[in-house]
Amino acid sequence: MQRRAFLHNLAAVGAISCLPLSIQRSLAAEAGTVSVDQLPQLEGDITLYLGRGEGGLYENVLEAIRKRNPKLNLQIRRGSTAALANSIVAEAKAGVRRADVFWAVDSGAIGLVSDAGLARPLPADLVGQLKPGFQYPQWAPVTGRIRTLPYNTDRLTPEQIPDSVMALADSDLAIGWAPAYASFQSFVTAMRLLEGDKATEEWLRGVSRHATSYAGELGVVMAVERGEVDLGFANHYYTLRLKSGKPDAKVDLAFTNNDAGCLVNASGIVALSEGDLPINFIRYLLTREVQSYLASEAYEIPLVDGVKPPAGLPALSAVSPPKVDLTELADLRPTLNLMRRVGVL
Amino acid sequence: MQSISLVSLLRKHRGLAFGLFAMLAAGQVSANGAIGDHVNDLKGHLGQYSEEVNWLVSKYDEVVDTYEKQGKKAANSNVMVEYWEEVDFHSAIETNYVPVYANIWQGIFGVKQAIDADAPIAKVREEQTKLNQALWQALGAVKLASQYQEKGLLAKVQTTEAEPTSMPETLEDIKHRLDRVVAKYAEQLPEAATSIVHDTYLHRFEGVEGALIEQDAALVEDLEKDFNVTLPQALDGKSSVDDVRKVVESMQVKLDKAKSLLEEAEKKRKDVF
Repeated sequence: MQRRAFLHNLAAVGAISCLPLSIQRSLAAEAGTVSVDQLPQLEGDITLYLGRGEGGLYENVLEAIRKRNPKLNLQIRRGSTAALANSIVAEAKAGVRRADVFWAVDSGAIGLVSDAGLARPLPADLVGQLKPGFQYPQWAPVTGRIRTLPYNTDRLTPEQIPDSVMALADSDLAIGWAPAYASFQSFVTAMRLLEGDKATEEWLRGVSRHATSYAGELGVVMAVERGEVDLGFANHYYTLRLKSGKPDAKVDLAFTNNDAGCLVNASGIVALSEGDLPINFIRYLLTREVQSYLASEAYEIPLVDGVKPPAGLPALSAVSPPKVDLTELADLRPTLNLMRRVGVL
Repeated sequence: MQSISLVSLLRKHRGLAFGLFAMLAAGQVSANGAIGDHVNDLKGHLGQYSEEVNWLVSKYDEVVDTYEKQGKKAANSNVMVEYWEEVDFHSAIETNYVPVYANIWQGIFGVKQAIDADAPIAKVREEQTKLNQALWQALGAVKLASQYQEKGLLAKVQTTEAEPTSMPETLEDIKHRLDRVVAKYAEQLPEAATSIVHDTYLHRFEGVEGALIEQDAALVEDLEKDFNVTLPQALDGKSSVDDVRKVVESMQVKLDKAKSLLEEAEKKRKDVF
């Protein structure tokens, strides 16, 4: 494996941008980290659809916004991200709009809403606050997560891990995975988009021959740590949190190179109604304070410039996530069909 | 008529008062059909509930008497489930204290299966006594809940599912869902029980285990095993309801510990702004 270790700074992290490079550069040049002190007070009624996420930390952010803006009447509808996205589309078809903003834990759901023509354009200065590669005209990524290969440090050395996720299908490593897990399915979707259905099917068949299934990705990381398997597929934060609670945990992270194995996915927010309030509400989530909070407390990767990544992430001299339009991860059906056909679901 | 006082009920079920409060506050949805408005006016319906419990006890006695005198076929044990599903008291206890609700199902099937298996009458009467105890215990729980409700200590029973908004709330919700697992298993619906376990793991526990593992990795490891191995295996249709209940109670103790840990961690958490 040629590249190893963690994110030190995220200047190099990027997926594909939907803006021309010249515009990105222009916006990035204007952008700086915004403090909550620079933002206007929020006033009026707003309804947020909140996808179920980090077990309460998003709620802490929302409560802090409420306290800071006493004239804001924030109503929240909570549910699974996919169900809320479907509700928003169904409500629009029925000619009603109940949500003003939608905060989703995965960008695929944002894609569903924006494909239905429901997302309002965001102002250029707001988009420009985001790191290059995460600038989209109609939605704002809030925080990121990167796909990783957690590996057992007693059983493997970094050199034994291929730097291509596709090569793992032919390896003799014992692998842990969680095929029913939404993040894993997004990863397989990215693989389909990057490598094609045939290669993805062969990969699934190959890995399944030496894979053990777990219900969730924390379970995968714990199985790796116990030595049940050599390595696994999981989002980065599970390993960081395990190491935080168990500093001598026998697990570390490896990254593949420019393929779905190191996909950076993001939570995101979209404005569904016109006016300043939804836009300014989104600005609060991109402030230095909220981004720092989510990085330090939820181990999520901040996506605005000038905010430190989660503690415990070693330096990553170079990271090369694949170029994928994150909203294209919305269409899970072909992925699920493929996984069922192969028999991993 | 056999009765159980509130004091003895509390003595028998320490934590019941808190359980009642916590469960109603968390919001309830019946898995067995519509909940009538009566559950939000328990006190006004206590007379009805008492009548229904007396009616159930007498109807079940009739079934057992018939079995004793005329045998299995004449007894038609299937009516026992129909009687239970017919009464409003069913949703009154289901929305108030699921552990006792599970006991009733367990009791009904205890009698029914003994009859269906042509068991000696002494065995059937033994099961009937357990069922009667569960029914009276349930009536006591509903009476207690009515007092809390009257004092405004209980949230209105909701007919749509409320999403917990904090990790401690999520853990309470998980505990309540596990009570429902026992109830479904006691209702002889192991697949429904297993489905609740999977759903609870993916949509509830998964949201808190990341934060919990920072506090106690071994505890998460234990609960992971419980959710994914121990409890699903216990729901194989062969284990007794008591065995399933033991697994659930052990998980609930661990979840209480998790709740304490996360509450302490939350106190130390930095402010957003």
